[in-house]
Amino acid sequence: MSVHAIHKICRQVLRDHDFRGRMQSDPAKAIVGYDLTQEERRALLAGDVVTLHHMGVNDFMMGYLARFGSCGLSVPIFNEKIRSVLH
Amino acid sequence: MSEVAGVAKIVAAYGLPHTPFFPSRVVQEGPQSPTGLMFGQARDSLVAAKPDVILIFDTDHYNTFFFDNFPILAIGIDEKFSGPIDEPRGGMPVYSVPSMPKLAEYLHNHTVRTGYDVASLREFGCDHSVMVPLHFVNPGMRVPVIPFFISGHVPPLPSARRCFALGREIRKALEAYPENLRIVIIGTGSFSLEVFGPRIDPGKTDGVPDPEWVHELCRYLEAGDTDALIAAAAEDRMHAAGNVGGELLNWIAMLAFTDNRKPDFLIKQMENGHAYAGWRWG
Repeated sequence: MSVHAIHKICRQVLRDHDFRGRMQSDPAKAIVGYDLTQEERRALLAGDVVTLHHMGVNDFMMGYLARFGSCGLSVPIFNEKIRSVLH
Repeated sequence: MSEVAGVAKIVAAYGLPHTPFFPSRVVQEGPQSPTGLMFGQARDSLVAAKPDVILIFDTDHYNTFFFDNFPILAIGIDEKFSGPIDEPRGGMPVYSVPSMPKLAEYLHNHTVRTGYDVASLREFGCDHSVMVPLHFVNPGMRVPVIPFFISGHVPPLPSARRCFALGREIRKALEAYPENLRIVIIGTGSFSLEVFGPRIDPGKTDGVPDPEWVHELCRYLEAGDTDALIAAAAEDRMHAAGNVGGELLNWIAMLAFTDNRKPDFLIKQMENGHAYAGWRWG
């Protein structure tokens, strides 16, 4: 169920400005308390959206991480990474 | 049936996009910009139809619903709802939209009792997918709106044929509703669009992976050939057209009201893989 936890984190980035700020400045601390596996935690903090995509995380939800500059992502960085799934 | 005095009458139907940055684009580029003009044509037609209520078929983008509670079909029943609830871009106000709970409840009862397991929700908000088209075609949110949600993003999707049959059932109920109401139907969504998925264009947040699908659907719409459109709209075909390709289901539910008429206008918009269309008969 922890893919669900990543979805919740993405939604929280959209909805909670305080959480969004913490995901921008210190994401490792911000996600303490979420039920993630070690690999999910690593992939999320690395902005490794390719791995997260293959784990079944919803691409649309991950877009919030890029839109709001979390985990080292920006729209151009996200774009390049997610497109590499196919290219 | 719709000619009987004192019975509700469906007078027009529209298919519209809901791209979240369109309101800010029109603020920047003005009402004479292409986007402003396309929505303007739909708005002028809708306003001329003098609706008392709008029913909009929509796919929520994980905001009204979430993965913890994810209905395939749902109807909003309340005096009003608000939105967008997904942090609107500049130029998009947050609205409170009046609704018609008595009519919504009637539709809920009718659809469930005729075999559609429709969830109901109260005290809800809607995201850009409902609010952007309303922003453009329902000036001042003066006309009450009932949102009807169809799951169109995450597999498994309801089938095209079932969504059309659902539209027919809603139509039957509306045409028997014992109040003298003029009703407009909207279906909103893209035909081919990928948002934040692997098939987005370089440097962008979206892309149109399957332009030929947009052309094909517009050919069916132009010809009033709803049967061919439904036959083509298999679930895997819609997913192949992009990760929001299932939003076509909202158009299909709306097409249950048009009786295979040719549209008054149909504007294909390849940049975003969608179209604007309108049918007004009443």
